[in-house]
Amino acid sequence: MYQTNARVAKPGLLSQILSPSLKTREAIAAYIFLAPFLIFFSIFFVRAVILAVEYSFYDWRLLRPTRPYIGLENYIELFEDEVWWTAVQNTFVFTIMTVIGTTIVALAAAIAVTQPVRGQGFFRVLLYMPSLFSVGAVGLIWVWLLSTQFGVINYGLSFLGIRPINWLGDPDLVLPALSLTTIWWSFGFPMLILIAGLQGIPEQLYEAARIDGANGRQLLFNITLPLLRPAILFVTVTGVIAHFQVYGQTYIMTSGGPGRASYSVVYYLYQMAWVAFRMGYGAAVAVAIAVIMALLTTLQFLFISRRVEY
Amino acid sequence: MDRLRRSSFYKYFGVYLFLFVLGAMVLFPMVIAVSQSFMTNQEVNRWPPKVIPTEPTLDAYRQVLTQQDLRLDLWLRNSLFAASGHTLAVLALCAPAAYAFARLRFPGNKILFAFLLATIMLPSQVTLIPNYLLMRDLDWLDSFRALIFPGAANVFGVFLLRQFFMQIPQELEEAAVLDGASYFGRFRHVILPLSMNAIMALAIFVFLGHYNDLFWPLIVTSSLETRTLPVGLTILNQSYAGQYRPMILAGAVLSTLPILIVYIVFQRRIIKGVTMTGLAGR
Amino acid sequence: MFKRTVLSVLFVTILVAALALSFAVPGTEAQDATPAPTETPIVAEIGSGGTHISFWNGLTGSDGVTLNEMLARFAEENPDVSVTVEMIIWNTLYQKLQTAFVANDPPDVILLHASEIPMFGSFGVLRDLGDQYTSGGGWLPDDDISATTMDGMIWDGVIYGIPLDNHGRGLWINTDMFEAAGLSTDPADAPTTYEGWVELFQKLTLDANGNNALSPDFDPENVVQWGYTVGEWPNVNFIAGLYQEGGSFLSEDGTEVLVNSEAGIAALQKTVDLIYEYHVSPPAAGFDTWQGFGAGTVAVLPTGTWFLNQANLFTDINSRAWPNWQFGSQPAAWFGAHTFMIPAATEGEKLDAVLKMIQWVSENQIDWAASGQVPARLSAQAQLDPESYSSNILLGENFGAYGVQDPKSTVTQEMLAYLDAELSAALNGLKSPEDALNDAAERMQEALDRG
Repeated sequence: MYQTNARVAKPGLLSQILSPSLKTREAIAAYIFLAPFLIFFSIFFVRAVILAVEYSFYDWRLLRPTRPYIGLENYIELFEDEVWWTAVQNTFVFTIMTVIGTTIVALAAAIAVTQPVRGQGFFRVLLYMPSLFSVGAVGLIWVWLLSTQFGVINYGLSFLGIRPINWLGDPDLVLPALSLTTIWWSFGFPMLILIAGLQGIPEQLYEAARIDGANGRQLLFNITLPLLRPAILFVTVTGVIAHFQVYGQTYIMTSGGPGRASYSVVYYLYQMAWVAFRMGYGAAVAVAIAVIMALLTTLQFLFISRRVEY
Repeated sequence: MDRLRRSSFYKYFGVYLFLFVLGAMVLFPMVIAVSQSFMTNQEVNRWPPKVIPTEPTLDAYRQVLTQQDLRLDLWLRNSLFAASGHTLAVLALCAPAAYAFARLRFPGNKILFAFLLATIMLPSQVTLIPNYLLMRDLDWLDSFRALIFPGAANVFGVFLLRQFFMQIPQELEEAAVLDGASYFGRFRHVILPLSMNAIMALAIFVFLGHYNDLFWPLIVTSSLETRTLPVGLTILNQSYAGQYRPMILAGAVLSTLPILIVYIVFQRRIIKGVTMTGLAGR
Repeated sequence: MFKRTVLSVLFVTILVAALALSFAVPGTEAQDATPAPTETPIVAEIGSGGTHISFWNGLTGSDGVTLNEMLARFAEENPDVSVTVEMIIWNTLYQKLQTAFVANDPPDVILLHASEIPMFGSFGVLRDLGDQYTSGGGWLPDDDISATTMDGMIWDGVIYGIPLDNHGRGLWINTDMFEAAGLSTDPADAPTTYEGWVELFQKLTLDANGNNALSPDFDPENVVQWGYTVGEWPNVNFIAGLYQEGGSFLSEDGTEVLVNSEAGIAALQKTVDLIYEYHVSPPAAGFDTWQGFGAGTVAVLPTGTWFLNQANLFTDINSRAWPNWQFGSQPAAWFGAHTFMIPAATEGEKLDAVLKMIQWVSENQIDWAASGQVPARLSAQAQLDPESYSSNILLGENFGAYGVQDPKSTVTQEMLAYLDAELSAALNGLKSPEDALNDAAERMQEALDRG
């Protein structure tokens, strides 16, 4: 996880200059460097999180003058709410599909644009372009593409003799359809990370392997992927964090429907906090989401830290 | 360039094929959006769908740009100002903190950093309501301060820059120490100049994220003077999607244009910056 | 290197051009004072008087433009007042209002739906407007507002609103399709039974081979023209259906949710059958009803008064308004009322200016008909010119005769959100009407009990 200190501690010019008093001075300097960040972080993050946890123990409607303390009741209600568990399940399915999808597309794209082909720069710009759109624009475009009767996708499929598919109205297809939209929108960032990772792999490794008679597939599986593992894991961790919070696409494209087939946990949170205006309950939902994400991320970090050191 | 010339088209046929197919899939929805922004309000509703407008018209752009009080120019300026201000704030807070974590020894370094990393997994919705109330108490509502400062202590920024700073050879700093440079001097004159690519990469990610942010600016701003572009466009979008599709798409195209240009100009530096953070491997 | 230079020059040029365009154009066009009809500015500054009032509403399309034109005239006649109108789409407006009230920074006047009066009224953030009505010594005759609309202005015995209009549901029909199917387009000939409506829709639903839904050769998998469509705003359609079957949303005392009564289940079953039994409507999701109507693939569109300008300006379709459908034993059509409310915090000069504005708009309500909606004041309704406002009159009479409104409760928005999700499940074939309504009623009852 952390190695710099070890390097600093090696006998070198720097450590010879350092005396115990310098050490104290270094620590003071460090705290001064950290202070502005930590002040802002405490005010806008730590404080807010603590308050959110506190709110979650109250029955708090935004405008109601009284705010009774109700202990764990918000959490009990949440655990007993089927809709919450539907949302959790949907979100997991969506996140898994989307993270796997984006990673594969981003990896393939990154490998392709780091080959010595013409138009590298053009494709790097083109493939990142969807990420520049706001979610509102993406939703607007894709609702229209995926529309059952008027969608260009179904129109194209009709030439192959395929009957109109109800992408956003079929409970089995709505999450894949949202996932497809999200992959299109967001594979640009992981692609950049993976391009960077690929450029960090020394060319000599490939040349040596080629001399040993390795073919393209062997190069991919024996050199590229193993050396790219830290980047791939970084991409999946940030992907899980980002996609688990899916909201805009659902809000704009399906309103959580059909039925609740695309209800996500953050959509649930917004419904409770900003439609029902139950801020206390909303805070409890936010805390629950945070706990799930913490578990997920910890699992991933455990998985990473065994082979990757940051 | 030489290597490119020598590379045979046939050898990389598969790569070209893949890039063209993927490129087409990526491009198609955007082409549709741009193309529809040149259609009339009636034409977008016709069936079968048209990809190329039969009578291309600039009406939608004219509407977006000239409609009284639909202040695209002002919103764009607001957005650029708020996003730039926020980006500067992030850099000003994160770069020194990252330097401390990467280069300085102090008690609690490891624990503090691990704690910060762990907070990445908390969804932003948790802080929404408390921070809204804080804005009210500070009397920051409907001001640019509310758009710029909350969220400026960006943990991802510290993480990315720390990874990058750790890659910079220790010897360079040691030389500065011999010249009697203070900690700040070393940060300012050794570390920062060597880190421009990484800082640029971070700046772009932060800028983009802020530029497209919706809910927070929506609830903390209420007047024309502080409204940002995505908020204006989303309201436009929700109100008119059924009717003025071309106009909304024209708005989306125009609002994406500035960041597209920024991205094209800085694309190489961004990738270089990310590469050298070691974030992506070694 | 050369390529890069060219590219850079190109980008800088585009950037400069885009900026120049965006900064220059609004300035030069500012003299062009008349915006095209039905475009609502998101924020409008009206007048230049010293007393400045801020006004939030959720009006879109022609509604917003019509109101802003009226306000411009008001500002002309009252040079001491200027108005900043901010248009925020309804859902977002409720959120923004809540936060604005919490922050103690509300606008000076708002236009909301009557159904929000219980929520905001119960929070104590609205001004009592009883003194504006003649019964309280004011200028607005109580009997110039229909009894049902008036009832919506009151919560806990206090009058919190001054209604602007009645807006509600009706049908828009594609007259060419009716004529092609040999059907009369006269509203007087509209069916009055479920069977009658089903037959009408069946005659108007065509497959790719030109067979209608009554034909034995009809291919329900390959419909190119739908007789009807259930997707637009299912919850208000359900409310109408519920009352048509003799049911009601809440019990008399407002403490019990009754949507899963036999009447409710029957109403929803009839709508679901239009999709899965008679194949005259597509499922709700994945079908944009306005686009469907505009593209000439829907014959009968259940929509509202607000569709008037959309029908005329944004489609190539020949159409006209029809009264709402009737699937049950009695007619019913949902309607709501756009209503002025004043936050309790508004006072002094601003309050006087706001009251003056509301009174002016109320007394000039006849002009509001241009938006397609029906003026709330009976005297204004009576003055409508039948030539230009046929749809307002046709639908307005219906609201007076058999209109039903949203339930009156402090948690109406929350209940409707739960109802929406369950209706979506039923209308997309995921749940039976009975299960959907039972599940909806359970959650809605919980919301109601929490209060």
